[in-house]
Amino acid sequence: MRLDITEDDECFRRAARDWLADNVPAAPAPYDGQPARDYALDWLATCHAGGWSGLGWPREYGGQGAPGEKLILWYEEYVRARAPSVLDCTFVAVNHAGPTLIALGSDAQKAFHLPRILEGRSVWCQGFSEPGAGSDLASLAATGRVEGDEIVVNGQKIWTSFADIADYQELLIRTDPDQDRHRGLSWVICDMTAPGITVRPIRNMAGVTHFAEVFYDDVRIPLSNVVGGLHDGWRTAMTTLGFERRTAAMGVQLALSIKVEDLIARAEPAPGSATAERLADLRAEAAALRAMTYRTVFRDSATSSDGSLMRLVFAELAQRIAQASMDILGAEALTDTPPTHDYLEAYSETIAGGTAEIQRNIIAERILGLPRS
Amino acid sequence: MTCDLNRTDDQRQILDAATAMLAAHYPVARLREPRTDSMAALAEFGGFLLAASEEDGGAGFTLVEEALLHVRLGHHLVSPRAVAGALACRLAARQAEPALAERIAAGAAEVCPALPHGDGHLLIDAEGAALALAFEGRRLSLIELGGTAPEPVAGLGHGGIATSRLAPGRGRRIAEGDDRACLTADLLVSAQLLGIAEAARDLAVDYAQTRRQFGKPIGAFQAIKHHCANMGLQAEMLSAQLDMAAIAARDGRDDAAFQVAALRRLAPRAALFNTRTAIQVHGGIGFSAEADIHHYLKQAHVLIRLGEPAPLLDLPAALAPRTNRPRRTPCASP
Repeated sequence: MRLDITEDDECFRRAARDWLADNVPAAPAPYDGQPARDYALDWLATCHAGGWSGLGWPREYGGQGAPGEKLILWYEEYVRARAPSVLDCTFVAVNHAGPTLIALGSDAQKAFHLPRILEGRSVWCQGFSEPGAGSDLASLAATGRVEGDEIVVNGQKIWTSFADIADYQELLIRTDPDQDRHRGLSWVICDMTAPGITVRPIRNMAGVTHFAEVFYDDVRIPLSNVVGGLHDGWRTAMTTLGFERRTAAMGVQLALSIKVEDLIARAEPAPGSATAERLADLRAEAAALRAMTYRTVFRDSATSSDGSLMRLVFAELAQRIAQASMDILGAEALTDTPPTHDYLEAYSETIAGGTAEIQRNIIAERILGLPRS
Repeated sequence: MTCDLNRTDDQRQILDAATAMLAAHYPVARLREPRTDSMAALAEFGGFLLAASEEDGGAGFTLVEEALLHVRLGHHLVSPRAVAGALACRLAARQAEPALAERIAAGAAEVCPALPHGDGHLLIDAEGAALALAFEGRRLSLIELGGTAPEPVAGLGHGGIATSRLAPGRGRRIAEGDDRACLTADLLVSAQLLGIAEAARDLAVDYAQTRRQFGKPIGAFQAIKHHCANMGLQAEMLSAQLDMAAIAARDGRDDAAFQVAALRRLAPRAALFNTRTAIQVHGGIGFSAEADIHHYLKQAHVLIRLGEPAPLLDLPAALAPRTNRPRRTPCASP
């Protein structure tokens, strides 16, 4: 067991640090709408021009094929420089759609989409959840009827982040009406400008509009947009969960350490006070989350169930940090500031991407071996 | 790869050997009869010298393997004499008492932990001990008990923990620990607390798979599942942080003090959370003295008292925001 940083790694770290110091935008990221899109695409294009995009992607698709050591160092420098959150409107494209296409896409799909994603020219959203299919994703009901060389889509998706500013959507629909649950689904690339799509943005409790409902009324999608085989969409959807939870989550998880340090600096707690004790707990937990992040990268046994552990530790810690931040603010907690915004946004952490309750079921059943309910 | 958090073959071998030794000499069932563990079997295994250099009679392992061994000791609820002995060896060796260090390492001189108690000390598992290791805040002292006779006092849970009182001024202080010794103490105590947290989780999960109510194992109910998942979470966080802290301490990295302090802060919470939750999952039998789980809770309470954690907020964070413009340092390679 070792964590040795070589001279080569150290050089990489310095180069990242220097580049970030020169290029991280001074203005904070807008929360939603076209300004959020412009900001995120500009930043990704800047990263690409500097040679820092697609670090975790294979070289043959324009990525850097960086090993775990360099990915960790990059994201550590990234969060230390307070670079824009990786959870912006380019997240789905870079960390989910792109890797899915790399794993299962056709040559034409890869050739068209991958450069657009890496260069900061397209925004993707994820059309999985439906009003009747939240935690129980396999019960989804949106249909795709195969007609010649097209699929005609009808139905509704919900909680689709950035649907209002996305160019493409990874859309999961039922294409074989005779099969149920995980069978008979297809994962298709949906052009968000196609006729028949209606996007109704939903304001969240933090007052911003980064998610939406999407309605499909006879939307025609070419059969050639299916990724990973017709009726085999569940496998396609699961293919990249590992990537999302290992590589993509790094930047988000490590950022919590910085949030805790900022909070300590702002609070200036008296030694021994209840606030000092609370902040020390958060600091220790953020250190443990970082240790877990290292473990997922540098240990072989990482599986998607381990991802549930990471995801849950992260989500609940993010909320505790946000709550402490709110408590420490005083009357300013009632005004609209970045910490109060973060506090309200943090409520989504234990809901989005699998609720905390579902994650606990997964941990109990798949890691600890308890019987299925 | 220059970073690798997999257990090495050597580590797996030494841990397998430790598991076999512990099953033979320290089965948890032994606790059903009150008795004080002898350190003889652990000493014969080389448990006190694991991290010593080969010229000092060690096996050539490091603090990382020693920490992993202490996780296993935590699983088996080995007397806190084991932690005291491991630290006392170091104190004696560094204070030019090599003969004493050898006797401790060989199990010939037993060391019990001592905690400040009134004007004197409370000793844990003192029966037959020649020495006591006092944990006083962030200070470690080795005390020669000589002919002093500690006065037995009823321990937690009517003798669940063997305690005795050492009157003020009795015994002779023969060695003091330094910062390094405190760091080692925090690491080994935390490792044992991790062992307890893991064992409590495993006991609860086993019980939830076998105990049936309403026609199915209670582990099929979500309320029980979520208790178990929470225990899994606490153990995993602590285990990851133990690896991080042990490697940092072994390699003398800049962040070693921070990593160990974070570990030592998390460890009591995880051990208490898991043992308390495991008692709840066991239901009625969990509240009885006939199930083993209460021993884990009590041992956690003992270990937590072995020294105070370093003030974490006083230490520089391992991952902190960049404040100044970086100093340009050109690199040879791109």
